[in-house]
This record gives sequence, C-alpha cells and structure tokens, in this order.
Amino acid sequence: MRIDRDTVEEIIKTITQNKSRSLLTAFGVFWGILMLVILLGGGNGVQRMIWSNFDGFATNSGFTWAGNTSVPYKGFKKGRAWDVTLDDLQNVRKNVSGLSHVSAASAHWGTPPIYGEKKYSDGWLRGNEPEYQYIEDPQLVYGRSINEIDYRECRKVCVLGMNVYEALFEKGEDPCGKRIQVDGIYYTVVGVSNVQENINLLGMNKDAVIIPLSTLQRTYNEGKVVYYIAYTAKPGVKVSDVESKIREVVAIPNYVSPDDKEGVRQINAEEMFEMVDTLFGAIEVLIWLVGLGTLLAGIIGVSNIMMVTVKERTVEIGIRRAIGAQPRDILQQILAESILLTSVAGMAGISVGVGIMQIMDTQIVDDMGNSFGYQATFGSVVSLTILVIVLGAVAGLAPAMRAMAIKPVEAMHED
Amino acid sequence: MIHLTNIHKTYNNGAPLHVLKGIDLDIAKGEFVSIMGASGSGKSTLLNILGILDNYDEGEYYLAGNLVRNLSESKSAEFRNKLIGFIFQSFNLISFKNAVENVALPLFYQGVSRKKRNIMAMEYLDKLGLKDWAQHMPSEMSGGQKQRVAIARALITQPQIILADEPTGALDSKTSVEVMDILKTLHKDDNMTIVVVTHESGVANETDKIIHIKDGLIGKITENYNHDFWKAASSK
Ligand SMILES: Nc1ncnc2c1ncn2[C@@H]1O[C@H](COP(=O)(O)OP(=O)(O)O)[C@@H](O)[C@H]1O
Ligand SMILES: [Mg+2]
Repeated sequence: MRIDRDTVEEIIKTITQNKSRSLLTAFGVFWGILMLVILLGGGNGVQRMIWSNFDGFATNSGFTWAGNTSVPYKGFKKGRAWDVTLDDLQNVRKNVSGLSHVSAASAHWGTPPIYGEKKYSDGWLRGNEPEYQYIEDPQLVYGRSINEIDYRECRKVCVLGMNVYEALFEKGEDPCGKRIQVDGIYYTVVGVSNVQENINLLGMNKDAVIIPLSTLQRTYNEGKVVYYIAYTAKPGVKVSDVESKIREVVAIPNYVSPDDKEGVRQINAEEMFEMVDTLFGAIEVLIWLVGLGTLLAGIIGVSNIMMVTVKERTVEIGIRRAIGAQPRDILQQILAESILLTSVAGMAGISVGVGIMQIMDTQIVDDMGNSFGYQATFGSVVSLTILVIVLGAVAGLAPAMRAMAIKPVEAMHED
Repeated sequence: MIHLTNIHKTYNNGAPLHVLKGIDLDIAKGEFVSIMGASGSGKSTLLNILGILDNYDEGEYYLAGNLVRNLSESKSAEFRNKLIGFIFQSFNLISFKNAVENVALPLFYQGVSRKKRNIMAMEYLDKLGLKDWAQHMPSEMSGGQKQRVAIARALITQPQIILADEPTGALDSKTSVEVMDILKTLHKDDNMTIVVVTHESGVANETDKIIHIKDGLIGKITENYNHDFWKAASSK
C-alpha cells in the first residue's frame, strides 16, 4: 500500500479540481445519510414516546370482563348480559395457578371532583381493589396507594390522578390529608399517582380519583359487581396460556359457556406489546429501506461520476502506468478517492443529522421535561460510519476496475 | 541492451492494420540512435513495444537480457519504472502536479519516502536548470521547460535506457536544439543508451546511428558518429 501525504494531497486535488461536480456527487450521499439518521433518530424517539406509555406496567398482565353471551348455555339464551363480581375475583385467586397478582376495578363517571372553589370536570371515580397497585405501578408522587384497611373498612379516602391534582391544588402543594368532594361525598386525599396511560378499559388514569373498590360499590349500590378482573402471570408463565382457565373459572358459575369469547371478554398486554413490537419492527425495516434507497441513489451517483472522471483521466492514468504505476496502485488511488469523497459527505450527513436530532430532542419532552431520546443511537452512528466507508469502496469498485484496465500505451494518445 | 527479432504488430481495432512486418534490431548499451521514418510508418508503434507500453504479436524482444513476452502487468510496470525513462512529444506531465511532484512521481511508485524523493527530484531539476521552477505548475512553463521537467522525470530512476518519441515535435527550433543537446550530453557524460524516434532528419542527424523504418520494416542503417564534426565544419 503506497499511501502517504502525497496520496492524500493528490486525492484532495483531484476531488477539488471539479468542485461543483464533486459537491453535487457528495450531496447525494450527504442527503441519503442525513435522511437515514433523521429517520432512525425520529423512529427511536417515537418508539420511546409510545413505550413510555407502558412504563410501570406489568407486561405479563391481562384483563377479563363481561360481554353479552354469543351462544346459548344451560338454558340461557344468547345475547344475555351479566356481571363479573367479587366472587369471580375470589374464584380466580383460588382456582387459577400461575398468577402472581389478581385484582379488580370499577368506575363511576360524570361526577367531577371539587376542592374549595376548584372543580375538575374531566374527573371520574375509579374503584381499585388494593392488590391493583401490584398490577399497575401507581408511580406515587405524594402519599400512598389504596390499602387493605381502606378496602376492608370502605374508607372515604382517595388517590388523585396527576391532572386532578394539578387542577385542584397548587403546584408543589402536598394534598395529603386534604378533603375533596365528589358527588356530595368527602374523600380524604392519601396520595397522588402519576401512573402512565396503559391499556385503559375505564378512562384516563390522569383524570381519575381512585377510591377503594368497596367504597365505590357501597356508594353507588353496586353490590359485588366489578368492571373487570386484572391479573399478572408469574415469571415464566405466559398470560395467554392461563387465559382460557380464567375464562372457564369465571364463565361457569355465571352460566356462560366457557368457550364463549364474546361472553367472557379478555385482553392481555403481551398481545398488545407484541403488536406494538411488530409494528416498530416493520417501521424500522421501512426506515432502513427508504434510507438505504436514498443512500443507494447517492452511491450510484458517486459511481457514475467516478466512471466519467476515470474516462477523462485516461491519459493521466496511462502516464502513471507508463512511468511504473502498478495496476493495484491505480486501483488503490481510485478507491481511495471514492472512499474519501463518500465518507466526507457521509460524515457531514451524520453530523448534521445528529445535530438536527439533538435540537429535536431538546424540543420534544414529556410532562416532566424528560427527553424521549430523539437521537440516532451511538451504535447506529458507528454502523453508519462504517457503512459509508464500505459504500465508498463499493461505489469506487467499478470505476477503479476500469481505471486499472487502462493500458500504459494510452499515455501516447493525445488528449 | 535491445534485441529484436522478427517483431510483428497488427492493430485489430477496426480493419486489421499490419504495422510492423518483421523488425530485426539490435541496440547496444551506450548507443545513441534515432529511428527515422515518414509519419505513419510505425515508429511510435515500435517505440511503444520497446518501452513495454504495448505488446507485440510475433517475434522476440529481449530488454537488458530479459525476454519481454507474456510479462505480467506488474512485472512490466516494474521494468518500465526501473529500466526505462520515457520522453514524449507532448511532455505528458500531470497537469495538477507541480514540477517537483511530477519529477518525483516514478519514485513514489517505487515506494521511496516523500522527503527523499523530493530531495532527489530537486537535484534532477537543478541539473536541468529548473531549480527555480520546482514549485511551478506545467501550465506556467514553456514547452522547452516542460520537456526538461519530463527529462528529469525520465532520469530520476537512473534507467538503463531513454526512449524518446518525437521529443522535439512540439518545440520550436531553438528549444529543439537545447533538448537534443541535453540528450547528447547524457549520452556522452553518462554513457546513457538513448533511442529517439523522429520524422525530422535534422533531429536524426544529431544521433550516432540512424535507423530508417519504412512500411513496417527496417531499411538502411546509417552510421553518423561524426555529426558534430561535420556540423562544426559546415558552420565555419
Ligand atoms: N492504437 C492504434 N490502433 C489502430 N491503429 C493505430 C494505432 N496506433 C497507430 N495506428 C496506426 O498504425 C500506423 C503506424 O502508426 P505509428 O506507429 O503511430 O506511426 P508513426 O509514429 O511512425 O507516425 C498508422 O497508420 C496509425 O494510424
Ligand atoms: Mg509517432
């Protein structure tokens, strides 16, 4: 390998000899890489943004609730409505193995919480069974969750969703011990929850006033009715594998066919995560396809221009061969030119792309001012850098082969 | 130094053109010869074969004892680099390199370090009276200066033979004389083997031996050792 300062100087000279042409060529590569960095970085950000919605949520969790039956069963006609109750909750706890937590929740809408002069009209009441906190991490900002004693004694206590807290209290004010009013009943605030929006069967968690399930049932005369049963599977157990057992345990005492998937409705997070995961996988493939397509166009441009350049430099290359350049010297020279042109353009694209993502990252933040990571990962920057070098070599290959084939006698042909 | 027997060359791009039809030629070490002939007679074709710039179809060619046939591309490149110095009609300098870089280029392909090859290039430019032009680009130099740069480039590898194709073809008569004087000095002082291709009898007359080529064959060979004597005599 004969590469020294002259080689580098020479490459720069040949590239700068036809500035506008080199710039145009380089721009193709620059643009391709820029697109790729922005797409990859943007993709990362969107992905994190969506995943952040699932923060603190047990991925191996699921829900079961009552639907209208779709088949007749034990003398009951189809189309019958029924309710899931606390008895069903106990049955699932007792009879389904493989679950680590089982809980239930209920809701009451249209009763906005009031504190002093302030009122939050989007608010709603949510009744949680105490074990619910192990299924959905409440991410407490103040105080505590609904506990066993609250539940047993049907206490009038509540945990506020973030929006409710912000609407009713001053920023930074500890609301614990304060009493808010919902539907004419006073509840003592025991905590504030910043729980993220997960799979929502009832309403936005941010807008909820969470009270003990028992309190809600008693207040609104709902007896033992719950709106759904929620559960998480033990490590190593897939929720989807225990779902049919849960359906059976819930269905039979309620005279619903254990095979009636419309009568006993179920959803699990695993399926949701898988769906989102597959979606992101597809998006990433798409990003690479689009980005690489753009990049490929740039690379073909480089290759074409190098081809023209080699043709124009036939006599010069002939002279070099005449005075003793080996074919591989010529090959190296053209490859080095292509790699330098491509990687300078590519690295400019990477830098500008990373810069743009940096700006986006500081602009797009969550409620807490945290960024979502709109940024090409370090790994993808490294692989892109390697990619442009490799692509430079690929682009230069055909022109270099052509240059190598130039005969020394070409030096004798007048230009 | 050069030994050719029955060399044939046909160009096959387009209608086949049989240019060299059996060349037999010997050039000894230290000879200063010219190959003379009309335009299109095959002089350049012959010189290209001598310089291993092109291949031949038939016959044998020995250069400094080496059989030049079926040489690999890299071996012929090495021979050109180490054994031969080329001088061309159109100088064939690389336009975006200055004088010293042009002269140093053959050493670059030998892997000589940048510092060393630039020192040597400066020495050769100095020998040819171009020390002050070292940093100039070819476009800034006259024809005679460019040809002297080319000669310096041909000499820098200390070749065994200089091959020149119409070295004065692009020069006016005054600089032509200068260039021929340089070649004569190289021959006289360094006993360099030199082959000059020309269609001008005036140029051929400056060499010791004139080889006439006609219709692809060697015609008469004229001894011309006393050219300087006759020139001196006629100018009296
Ligand atoms: N590369 C080539 N392809 C085809 N014909 C050529 C080529 N080079 C030279 N010729 C032809 O061969 C003949 C001899 O050319 P050349 O050796 O250059 O003659 P000279 O140098 O004596 O003028 C000419 O007719 C020329 O047109
Ligand atoms: Mg000629």
